[in-house]
Amino acid sequence: MKIGIPKEIHDGEKRVALMPDSATHLIKLGFTLSIESGAGLAADISDEAYKTAGVEIVKTSKTLWKNADIILKVRAPEGNEVDLLTSGKTLISFIWAGQNPELLEKLAAKNVTVLGMDSVPRMSRAQKLDALSSMANIAGYRAIVEAAQHFGRFFTGQITAAGKIPPAKVLVIGAGVAGLAAIGTAKGMGAIVRAFDTRPEVKEQIESMDAEFLMLDFKNEEGGSGTGGYAKTMSPEFIAAEMALFAQQAKEVDIVVTTALIPGKPAPKLITSEMVQSMRAGSVIVDLAAEQGGNCELTEKDKVVVKHGVTIIGYTNLPSRLANQSSQLYATNLRHLLTELCPQKDGTINVNFDDEVLRGATVIKEGKITWPPPPPTLSAAPAAKVEAAVVPEKSALIPASLKQFAPLIVGVFALFSVGSVAPASFISHFTVFVLTCFIGYQVIWNVKPSLHTPLMSVTNAISGIIVIGALVQVSSQNTNISLLAGLAILIASINISGGFLVTRRMLEMFRK
Amino acid sequence: MSHGLVTMSYIVAMILFILSLSGLSNQETARKGNYYGMLGMAIAIVATALSALVSSYEILIIALLIGGLIGTKAALTVEMTQMPELVAIMHSLVGVAAVLVGYANFMDDSAGLEGVEKTIHEVEIYVGILIGAITFSGSVIAFGKLSGRLGGKPLLLPNRHFLNLGLLISAILLGHYFLNSTETSGIFPKLITQLESTFNLSHETSSWFLNHFEALKNGTFPLFLMTIVALVFGIHMVMAIGGADMPVVVSMLNSYSGWAAAATGFMLSNDLLIVTGALVGSSGAILSYIMCRAMNRHFLSVIAGGFGTSSGGKAAEIVGDVQSITVEETAQLLLSAKNIMIIPGYGMAVAQAQHTVYEMTKLLRGKGKKVGFGIHPVAGRMPGHMNVLLAEAKVPYDIVYEMDEINDDWGEVDVSIVIGANDIVNPSALTDPNSPIAGMPVIECWKGETTIVMKRSMASGYAGVGNPLFVMENTRMLFGDANATLQAVLKALNG
Repeated sequence: MKIGIPKEIHDGEKRVALMPDSATHLIKLGFTLSIESGAGLAADISDEAYKTAGVEIVKTSKTLWKNADIILKVRAPEGNEVDLLTSGKTLISFIWAGQNPELLEKLAAKNVTVLGMDSVPRMSRAQKLDALSSMANIAGYRAIVEAAQHFGRFFTGQITAAGKIPPAKVLVIGAGVAGLAAIGTAKGMGAIVRAFDTRPEVKEQIESMDAEFLMLDFKNEEGGSGTGGYAKTMSPEFIAAEMALFAQQAKEVDIVVTTALIPGKPAPKLITSEMVQSMRAGSVIVDLAAEQGGNCELTEKDKVVVKHGVTIIGYTNLPSRLANQSSQLYATNLRHLLTELCPQKDGTINVNFDDEVLRGATVIKEGKITWPPPPPTLSAAPAAKVEAAVVPEKSALIPASLKQFAPLIVGVFALFSVGSVAPASFISHFTVFVLTCFIGYQVIWNVKPSLHTPLMSVTNAISGIIVIGALVQVSSQNTNISLLAGLAILIASINISGGFLVTRRMLEMFRK
Repeated sequence: MSHGLVTMSYIVAMILFILSLSGLSNQETARKGNYYGMLGMAIAIVATALSALVSSYEILIIALLIGGLIGTKAALTVEMTQMPELVAIMHSLVGVAAVLVGYANFMDDSAGLEGVEKTIHEVEIYVGILIGAITFSGSVIAFGKLSGRLGGKPLLLPNRHFLNLGLLISAILLGHYFLNSTETSGIFPKLITQLESTFNLSHETSSWFLNHFEALKNGTFPLFLMTIVALVFGIHMVMAIGGADMPVVVSMLNSYSGWAAAATGFMLSNDLLIVTGALVGSSGAILSYIMCRAMNRHFLSVIAGGFGTSSGGKAAEIVGDVQSITVEETAQLLLSAKNIMIIPGYGMAVAQAQHTVYEMTKLLRGKGKKVGFGIHPVAGRMPGHMNVLLAEAKVPYDIVYEMDEINDDWGEVDVSIVIGANDIVNPSALTDPNSPIAGMPVIECWKGETTIVMKRSMASGYAGVGNPLFVMENTRMLFGDANATLQAVLKALNG
């Protein structure tokens, strides 16, 4: 089948859906490739580079759309692109089916098959074709770079001869892929990073990047994890507590990066204009949710605005600002998807709905809207904890505090009862016995587990000390006694020599 | 040698023994510790031999020489895989010695004790022989199980708890009888007279009985009976314990052999014996405790034998397909890995694969890979068994880690190889509250990227528990004899 890659027509879009490298792989799968002339120029890839990789260069987009069976794109089709897509073709690109129902209708009417790169389910198997993650990663990095450009101060703290410069404080809201990338970048530049997320399980990830996780002191909330590893809408009480936290943080931090998105819904408004007002002059807010309306009330889409002395960056297409590398990652994601679609490697695709990944990604199949897909069965987030079988607790007869002391009390009682009848000679031996048990207890706990076998064989040898008991009896007048004692000596000495020597042999083997 | 000098020598010996055990706390000082022990023992024996209590030396020297030679030969020829057997049989020797010394002491009436002191002395003898006999028969059975002469499966007699209880009660009753017999002439003469009148026996017969069986009059009989009861108890106790619980049994018998020595010390009023016995006893007790904790089992439930007495429901069935892997693929996987962890189990000891494992380790380390070993506390059949085997194969001890040291780091491990282990890597111990091994800490190798499980076939482990690790997505099974397969892997790595 023929794959065509048109030039992106969206204003400011520099990415391209094919790289020479991914082209080589796709040709191996049996596809023939053609690309619109100049499609890669914005991402620094010349037509020649594609030609060398075996891709046909097509002059006009019309011819390209007409001849191709499969269209690979970055952006959802717009303008006349929808008209160019004719019946029976397959389109693979970002679609945002949830936000663009009209587009979905229009495409369905064209009787085409459409796979949305934004609809790929979040499963471990689908990670290699998860374009959202690879793009979010870039966006997170770029967000900090943009912030740094508009932030008139150092990120890292410095102590110079001319005085001390405090490090910048960065607050990242939403610790998804973009948030974590932003945390890592800001951390690398030396800032103090705090992060907030409604999903409690990301705490570990945040802390693993050496950032501080802002805990919300809020009970009665089951945590904000929705299905598929994304966040969900929280209860009003939770949101109120959250907003109080942001209001307080706004006074302290210099840079705020917001990445809070809920799938298929407008971005939640987290930073109010009062909060912006309370921020220090010269602070920067980067709103990665600008596309979906922004997390900050004052965000203007695709613009950088200064309000109350605070720079608010509302760029919607940060990945496009690293066009070459984001194209590379996106093209690789597409290549993996095509590999899944073409298991026979014969250059034909099969949209197999038994495959959970392909089912999830497909928004329109042969003119029928198949979005939204059934919920994925596997989630990147840890599954809900399996309730352990509840064993009815036996009601304790004795209160716990008393139980703790019970052995002690019994022990003391036993000692006293022995002491009340035993003669002095026994008591002195008994003292030695009890004290030695304690010494043994202290000494043995220090023994390394790897030396437990040598410990056993050495104690084995030492318990051969019973030979002493036999020794003192061997000179008895009674022949029977001295014979018994002699036998005991023989047996015990096997223990002594055997135990010590085998320990020696073992210990010689232990080496660094 | 005067009494004072002997006592001083004993104190020196005690201190040396304590130093010996504390020396074993790490590898650097362990050898010195062993020498301390030898020195202490030598001082104790020489001082006793030179004391006023010992006057004839023929038997003493001959016995020491013969015993010493046998011990030396055993120590020098034993295979490291047979260490558990050797340790078990040596425990039984301590038990026999304690019984013999006890009997000898009982026959020796030169002490001339009276009243409570005499009673206490009799109790000491009784207890000493009791513990000695249990240690002896228990250790012999443990030896049989460890060496494969007896089956590893627990022998579960019906009403075994009542049988144990019955044996215990009879031991106590016999003890009471024994004390009575030694103080009066015992109830036997009365019984004989009774029998005489009941069965109309002639008086000659009964007095013949009493005269010829002196033992019936002075308590030897109950002592003898008790010894048999104790032997049966020891046998029954260890027979009921399964192979996987062997580490607990071995360390428990270790403890018993110490208590037997301590009881002998009380019997002879000898502090050196008491101290040494108590040291060994508490050492064994702590080891048993550590082993029990490593299996999340209660000490009593191990000793009582059997498995799964209190689980609340049915353990989850293991469903899924195993994915097998070839020798060549294993080699490929190892070559592409950076961080490799090897988890040996009893199967490695059975297959004698430790040397091949080390050859492979050397090769992989030579290729710049990080190779470590993860040891579960109850891997093998006695505490520290795996460490000794690896040491024998010259694996440096600083790449051998304990379970607790590695369980947090699985994220960095690319490939882990499980060699002949099953229960110690069973995830259902953590996830399935109804599993017989629920709650037992295990090596969480499935958290690494790939786990290769080497196994003879798809049989369940000693605990008879299915293992969901085998059907996990990132687990590959490599079937076959551990040693032969590893040698093939080694060849593939070289080629």
